[in-house]
Amino acid sequence: MKNLLLKFEPLIWLLFGQGIMIGTLLLTGWVLILGIAAPLGWVAPLEFEHAHELAASFIGRVVLAALIALPLWKGAHHMRHVFIDMGGADRDSKVAPLLYLISLAGSVAAIVAVVRL
Amino acid sequence: MSDLPKKKFVITRFDPDVDEVPKTQEYEIPVEPDWKVLDALNFIKDEIDGTLSHRWSCRMAVCGSCGMMVNGEPKLTCKETLADYGDTVEVSPLANFPIVRDLVVELDGFMDKFKSVKPWIIRAKELAVDEGPMRQSPEELEEFKQFSMCINCMLCYSACPVVANEPEFLGPAAIALGHRYNVDSRDEGAERRNEVFRGEGTVFSCSFANECSEVCPKHVDPAAAVNQAKFNAVIDWAKGLVLPRGGES
Amino acid sequence: MARASHPHAMHPKKPGSTRTAAPQMPPKFPMAGRYRAYTLFDWTGLIYLILGFMALEIVWALGTGKAEWVALMERFQNPIYVIFHVLALVSVIFVGVRFFGFFPKSQPPRIGPVKPPPQPVILGGLYVAWIGISAVFSLILSGALFR
Repeated sequence: MKNLLLKFEPLIWLLFGQGIMIGTLLLTGWVLILGIAAPLGWVAPLEFEHAHELAASFIGRVVLAALIALPLWKGAHHMRHVFIDMGGADRDSKVAPLLYLISLAGSVAAIVAVVRL
Repeated sequence: MSDLPKKKFVITRFDPDVDEVPKTQEYEIPVEPDWKVLDALNFIKDEIDGTLSHRWSCRMAVCGSCGMMVNGEPKLTCKETLADYGDTVEVSPLANFPIVRDLVVELDGFMDKFKSVKPWIIRAKELAVDEGPMRQSPEELEEFKQFSMCINCMLCYSACPVVANEPEFLGPAAIALGHRYNVDSRDEGAERRNEVFRGEGTVFSCSFANECSEVCPKHVDPAAAVNQAKFNAVIDWAKGLVLPRGGES
Repeated sequence: MARASHPHAMHPKKPGSTRTAAPQMPPKFPMAGRYRAYTLFDWTGLIYLILGFMALEIVWALGTGKAEWVALMERFQNPIYVIFHVLALVSVIFVGVRFFGFFPKSQPPRIGPVKPPPQPVILGGLYVAWIGISAVFSLILSGALFR
């Protein structure tokens, strides 16, 4: 398992890096409007028909898939570091695959979610 | 000497023949206004307790010998001015290293990691003497020069949380020096070094705490080197997917 | 007194001739001094995992139908959700500031013949992209753009 993790590390790091970069670029507006401004009534919430029309466009599907999947890789990789920093390095070869499986499952679900729009 | 202000030094002591675990010992000594922490340690050893063991050499922050934890931070004791510290100064051996005795730590672990990155120019074929020197432009030198300033003081290893928790990790200085050679236009050994960078001590273990660069006394910025090395490793990996190499490296 | 590092931290392949004492963690790790920002940075991983799965829930609801979408938007009005999103926004901004600060120096000096732009240009470009993309995305999500 350790060798498998070492083999895939560049890909995981790339996904993690993009999770920070693109995740941060996209999540700022996303959290601000959908998580704070709309619930508090500062802006009108998106109507379903309009939201669906935006989301179901090609660019909409790509952006949403990235917005779901990439932060999951950032999250999993950083939680792996948290576990190691708390003294879990000797169990990393069991914990890391579990965390990355979560982000992989979420990424697959992201693709399904945008396809079924 | 008696008119001089005094400071208290709380120093880690460990004698493997006598002590189960390290303990601390306190010394209160008069300090000159221009003293460094190292001057105080040398005064203690010369005048008060000859059994105190510590490493030092150049006294001018170029040899890297006198690294220790001063008030919980890795420092070169020859560089730290005592006037910047309060009345009590704690001095302990470098964090993350096995302790040999008192303030002296085991360095061979670092030497193993350092040697593994092959920190020398590797050429596919050595130039003959009459072919002249290998030429390098100032721009090519700038690409790696700061990483060559490392004095192997190992303060970066003491500050790094990954070194603390992952024993196989190559560590900041070893990766920075390996990267220094990878980026050197005269070198042709990147492929061999990248096997080490992608091995058990993998550069990808670095979590970008940036502590190594914060504590480096020579402004090497090892965090920059390690993360540039990650980037280069990803490029090599991607190239390997598109253009798979044969077995020979 | 600091706690112990990993018992094999910085151990040599060949043991020395005398017994050594166990390596000690840097005393300020994990939550004192500069380490606090680093540890919190890693813990934002949890926020990003939650945000990712919440985004999945939102897009899934959008794909299921109007009733699910409306119900989900009403659920987001719960104060617990709003407080979480305020914390999430702080986290995302913290991550952006720290990561973008480090990004320029992590670029290799050259990729083949191509050199990266000077570090201040990279940093400025990142902030322009961040503010620009956030502004446009916010306008789209609030219905002000592409109506």
